[in-house]
Amino acid sequence: MSKRFAAIWFRHLTTDWLTIRQPELQGRPFVIAAPQHGRMVISAASPAAEVQGINAGMVVADARASVPHLQVIDGRPGLPDKLLKALGRWCIRYTPMVAIDPPDGLILDISGCTHLWDGEPAYHKTVATQLGSKGYQVRMAIADTIGTAWAVARFGKTADIVKNGGQLEVLSSLPPAALRLLPHILQRLDKLGLRTIGSFMGMPASALRRRFGDGLLLRLRQALGHEAEYLQPLQPIAPYEERLPCLEPIRTATGIGIAVQRLLEALCKRLAGEGKGLRAATLAGYRIDGKTVQATIGTNRATANAGHLFRLFALKIPQIEPALGIELFVLQATKVEATAPGQEALWDGTQGLEDTALAELLDRLTGKNSSCTVNRYLPDEHYWPERSIKRATAIDDPTTTAWRNDRPRPTRLLAKPEPVDVSAPIPDYPPMVFRYKGVVHQVKKADGPERIERPWWVDTGEHRDYYYVEDEQGQRYWLFRSGHYGDDRPQQWFIHGFFA
Amino acid sequence: MAYTELQVTSNFSFLRGGSHPEELVKQAAALGYRAIAITDRNSLAGIVRGHIAAKKYGIRLIPACRLDLMDGPSLLAYPTNKAAYGNLCTLLTKGNFRAEKGQCLLYKQDLYDHCEGLRFILVPPETLTPTFELDSKFKQQAAAYREVLGSAMYVGATRTYRGDDSKKLFRLHQLAQQLDRPVVALGDVYYHVPGRRELQDTLTCIREKCTIHSAGFRLHQNAERHLKPIDEMQRLFRQYPDAIVRTQEIAEACLFSLNELEYVYPHELTSGGRTPQQELVHLTWKGAEEKFDGAVPDNVRDTIAMELAFIEKKNYASYFLTVYDYVRFARDRGILCQGRGSAANSVVCYCLGITSVNPAKFKLLFARFMSDARDEPPDIDVDFEHERREEVIQYIYEKYGRNRAAIVATVTQVRAKGALRDIGKAMGLSLDAVGRLSATISSHWDDHIEMERLAEQGFNPADPHLQKVMALAQQYIGFPRQLGQHTGGFVITQGNLHELCPLLNARMEDRTCLEWNKDDLEALGFLKVDVLGLGMLTCIRKAFDLVKTHYGRDLTLASINQHDDPNVYQMISHADTLGVFQIESRAQMSMLPRLRPHQFYDLVIEVAIVRPGPIQGDMVHPYLRRRNKEEPIDYPSAEIKDILERTLGVPLFQEQAMEIAIVAAKFLPQEADELRRSMATFKAKGEVNRFKEKMVNGMVKRGYTTDFANRVFRQIQGFGSYGFPESHAASFALLVYVSSWLKYHYPDVFAAALLNSQPMGFYQPAQIVIDARKHGVTVMPVDVNHSCWDHTLEGKFGERHALRLGFRQVKGLNEEDIQALIAGRADGYREITDLCHTGVQQATLEKLADADVFRSMGLDRRQAMWEIAAVHDRPVALFSGQSSESAAEGQIQLPLMTPGEHVLQDYASTSLSLKAHPVHIIREKLDLLHVVPTGKLSTMQDGMPVKVCGMVTIRQRPGTAKGVLFVTIEDETGFANLVLWDQVFQTFRREILQSRLLMVTGKLQVEGEVIHVVVTRCFNMNGLLHQLKSTKDDEPTQVFHKGRNFK
Repeated sequence: MSKRFAAIWFRHLTTDWLTIRQPELQGRPFVIAAPQHGRMVISAASPAAEVQGINAGMVVADARASVPHLQVIDGRPGLPDKLLKALGRWCIRYTPMVAIDPPDGLILDISGCTHLWDGEPAYHKTVATQLGSKGYQVRMAIADTIGTAWAVARFGKTADIVKNGGQLEVLSSLPPAALRLLPHILQRLDKLGLRTIGSFMGMPASALRRRFGDGLLLRLRQALGHEAEYLQPLQPIAPYEERLPCLEPIRTATGIGIAVQRLLEALCKRLAGEGKGLRAATLAGYRIDGKTVQATIGTNRATANAGHLFRLFALKIPQIEPALGIELFVLQATKVEATAPGQEALWDGTQGLEDTALAELLDRLTGKNSSCTVNRYLPDEHYWPERSIKRATAIDDPTTTAWRNDRPRPTRLLAKPEPVDVSAPIPDYPPMVFRYKGVVHQVKKADGPERIERPWWVDTGEHRDYYYVEDEQGQRYWLFRSGHYGDDRPQQWFIHGFFA
Repeated sequence: MAYTELQVTSNFSFLRGGSHPEELVKQAAALGYRAIAITDRNSLAGIVRGHIAAKKYGIRLIPACRLDLMDGPSLLAYPTNKAAYGNLCTLLTKGNFRAEKGQCLLYKQDLYDHCEGLRFILVPPETLTPTFELDSKFKQQAAAYREVLGSAMYVGATRTYRGDDSKKLFRLHQLAQQLDRPVVALGDVYYHVPGRRELQDTLTCIREKCTIHSAGFRLHQNAERHLKPIDEMQRLFRQYPDAIVRTQEIAEACLFSLNELEYVYPHELTSGGRTPQQELVHLTWKGAEEKFDGAVPDNVRDTIAMELAFIEKKNYASYFLTVYDYVRFARDRGILCQGRGSAANSVVCYCLGITSVNPAKFKLLFARFMSDARDEPPDIDVDFEHERREEVIQYIYEKYGRNRAAIVATVTQVRAKGALRDIGKAMGLSLDAVGRLSATISSHWDDHIEMERLAEQGFNPADPHLQKVMALAQQYIGFPRQLGQHTGGFVITQGNLHELCPLLNARMEDRTCLEWNKDDLEALGFLKVDVLGLGMLTCIRKAFDLVKTHYGRDLTLASINQHDDPNVYQMISHADTLGVFQIESRAQMSMLPRLRPHQFYDLVIEVAIVRPGPIQGDMVHPYLRRRNKEEPIDYPSAEIKDILERTLGVPLFQEQAMEIAIVAAKFLPQEADELRRSMATFKAKGEVNRFKEKMVNGMVKRGYTTDFANRVFRQIQGFGSYGFPESHAASFALLVYVSSWLKYHYPDVFAAALLNSQPMGFYQPAQIVIDARKHGVTVMPVDVNHSCWDHTLEGKFGERHALRLGFRQVKGLNEEDIQALIAGRADGYREITDLCHTGVQQATLEKLADADVFRSMGLDRRQAMWEIAAVHDRPVALFSGQSSESAAEGQIQLPLMTPGEHVLQDYASTSLSLKAHPVHIIREKLDLLHVVPTGKLSTMQDGMPVKVCGMVTIRQRPGTAKGVLFVTIEDETGFANLVLWDQVFQTFRREILQSRLLMVTGKLQVEGEVIHVVVTRCFNMNGLLHQLKSTKDDEPTQVFHKGRNFK
């Protein structure tokens, strides 16, 4: 049986996709642009923009000059490929052999598939309509060869389905660009006035080869079917998911435990094999009454330790309602990260953040009681004390900046400064005595002021003059005065932290 | 107990300081300081401005510098006397020469070599170590400095509220005791008032290429880096009062002032033991004898004597000799040059050959501008051929040496667009938003930010973050951004220049620059000479050469200017001036038939009248009416008559406006000059208004009408930004006349020279060629067997030679390849393969085929391309001579090209076509649309509705014409000038900007010879250009020039 191929061309791949996500863009002129040599160059224009004469390759500034209300959206590198892959995977329902054809097409090997849809016309209609209803403008053509299908999809003026062996006839009226040639060859053909494939198809091969190289002949022969061309099919990517159907509905905690353990072992084996670890996982139980129950865990550090993960799930098992019984368990790793290869312990005694036992302890603590939060703080590059620390999201978040040790900062910083009564000489000498929560502290030693100005781009207000003071008990405090002395209002003093 | 601020960073430490030197000095004066130092980083670029401001506010500026060394802690350096200042400059020059532009690499050893007479303050470190110690390395290096610098060194200390101030002060005090040197209090000032902190933070972000949100510790933690009141400084240093006292010790030791700098002319200008004045007298009379063929007229004699006496009195002889020196060099080398400027059009300069404007031809200008009252140095700019100016520059460097001659700097200022972009980025706006924001600035010399346009671009003007961005950008406008080099201003001295001002490497190779710009130099009384480049001089010299070769006539600027040729003036009056210097623009061309110049002085006026000054001052129409005797000529007063007589009572020149200010409003000459200058800079808005009041009131008080006074003032305002004095106009008029003369007498030569000097002027080669053909010149295409690289003249067809286009017109060719091709031509190429033997690359051959240059071999471009595509497998070396496969190839019939396709290809490859005009090919289609050929417009009546269509050549939207857009379109019969009102432009914006081929409907406006089409509707006819090609899959419109846009 002869081969049949379908070529699908997405005329406005990226702009269609954006319009699907942001329906308000429908019918509006907008472009996607990315910086190129310091200028914003348009990589795709919406149909409405194209009507107004805006095309890919133009500089945004020029386009704006003619269409002042043109909306410009920053392009993401690699987006077309990602979209094509997703669309390709979707097309696998129509044929197992799907290949992406960057930058804006798909090639389907449809040999022997079309009869399932009652022949090629119906097949063509189904696929094109389905893609169209998703919101993509597509052009699809079917032919004996990839080359001809590609050419007709993009340049064809008549029927989209080329009958068996009809390549020669169809191609001869199409322009050379339909042969997927390099730009400089196209340019040369154009200069010679060879504006259709037919005008040179019949020339002696040697004359063509001498002037245009082997590329032209290869493409021509491929399109005509004299030379075979192969597809590189898109591989489906398997998700990190394990399924466990049960012969009989599970109704006990022990049963669930066993199921979780089996699933975890299988999943962790696979993860470990791929050098990955799990940060979050969801267990779904499909009950026979048609409902689904779920339990979710998260970890502080990517791990493939089934034992540890099981302990985390074990805390959740009591909350799972089996009701009449669960017939299918699905465990899915929702967040997976690469793990550093585990070093075999030469000596025991890894400490601090490197110690996995610590991470596992934290997982258990937070898993046990959701109201218990354990936070880790990292330094942040800001002078304003409230902004000088930030909460870490994971136990092994790297610090972007070192803790500063060139000026004293309290070990305990109050989340909100609390007002204190102070008596201090003006204008900016340290306090002599202050009262905090009813207790009077005599200041014995003091240093300061350290003047910290507000981040003016965030908010406005008074600066603060901070003092480090020590009372007669030897306790040290971090006090500050808000604003300058000398105005009519009484001076406002606050306590903001305690030194160890 | 007084205090002097000794550590001040101005905005001449680019992207560090947050205030202008002037602001810092002014604030210091307001706070009661008696002196202030400015210490920019390895630079003295800001001190002259500080010095001028200090004079104005009655305090003293200590010129100083912060030395950032590569191998040690920074020091502040203060010269105690002139020699020490010279040392400092030499030191900085050394560091500058070592580095790329914008950097200065200094080492401890350099400092030790040049420390004589300088006082130093050691800049304290920002922080102490975690154990509250000074860094041990810092201490070691301080000790090392102490050893060499001895008692000239002090230890600096600052209190910037960083929390550890007391500890730091204590440690520095300890260190000072160890070194046995005193501590000095420093303010470490970055801005003059605390409010500038926000701008200074933003500048830090721009410098560090981060946003304000991520800048973190790169910013200062508080706003304490401002100039503080003296008593506050005393309070801060109350524990170490001696530190305050010591600032006075330094201030009193460093009494050097920039006033002490003296400019000395180079000595080698004279010969035979004469003094400069004697030398000048000698040369002038010698020149006069030559110029007037031994018969110097009496009145010229008197003028020369008067001028020489004046020059002697002012002691400017050396200046004239300096200019004479390099003008003579240029003349010896055959480089054309022409002087302009207030002193350039004197008889002395004519005799010295600096200018070729024959002073006998119109009233002498010299005395008027070099009056006693205006005590400013003479101003002579000399234009040279732009292609050969570098020779003159290198001559000056060579003659005086790099240590005695350098180019003046220009301080590039931050403009509105750049300010918004930089500040926007630093404030964390997205690139897209920044782009839209800068789009709110309408043009690049428009320096105010229009809040109304924000909403148009989709911003919310009430957004506080955005308002902050705008406010900061407004402050940032006018900041110095970098030191560039002046286009050609030179300072030449007798002594070492690097003892007067630090020098630095310019970005261009073989150039060295000063750190100061021309205003700074003028304030210090340094003289500069301008060596400028002018494209038209190149063109004229090339024309002279061609005339000599082909017509055997020797021409010079002066010889052409000897007599007024009525034919030339007639040509000018018909606005037949395409390619002519200055008067070729649309605005100039439409003025010519109204003005109808018939003598040299008319050209002077023509050059000056189409300028923003006279246009904004509404002087043009009154002048035209008076000239055409439609309005009586009257003068507001007798004193004004003297000034305005030559321009029929209407002030047209910058000098006239200034003179009116002096005579009628009783301005002092310096004031008049200050007024002009304050308008040239954008900032001093308040100052301008003060002048306006003074001037208008002054004139009204003396009996002039308010209307007249306002008009003169408006004109001065226009002159401010584009000053056009009579003396410049006269020099330009000379070139106008010479180029018109060439165009009239030798249109073939003129076209060739103009094409060989491209790019220059308003027009594209295509239009120059069309114009040449219209004047009866035969133009022949580029041909592989006949053309040279340049455009040449060949044969003789009647009166004229034919113009043979050269290979330079073909896009993408390399001159060397072509020279090889020409060298191998011998008795002509007959086969494509012959060309290959010269070693020309196949890519070059393809470009030649595109240009259709093989006609003399009987090949059109397509056949040639077919042949060339196969040459790479021709038998070479060992196999040469054997028959190749391609030779045995059967003939293949290629599709024939249509005329349209040929024209299209011609434009694509050479930007012009001799075969046909593109519009000609689609004329039939246009006829169906009832489009009138532009050539027929002159036969039509004023007020008739018309429809014209043509290729867009120029779009011009002058700032002076209130949003009116002028468009020139061209078809095979000529040009049409379109006028579009702003409303029409906004409606048809896209058509106007995108059309290569534009069709418009409108109303004809005929005013004598001046014909305009006032447009009502526009149509983009690019689609018709597709007709040129047999298929439609390409975009042939891209081939044509999209038209040039002018402001």
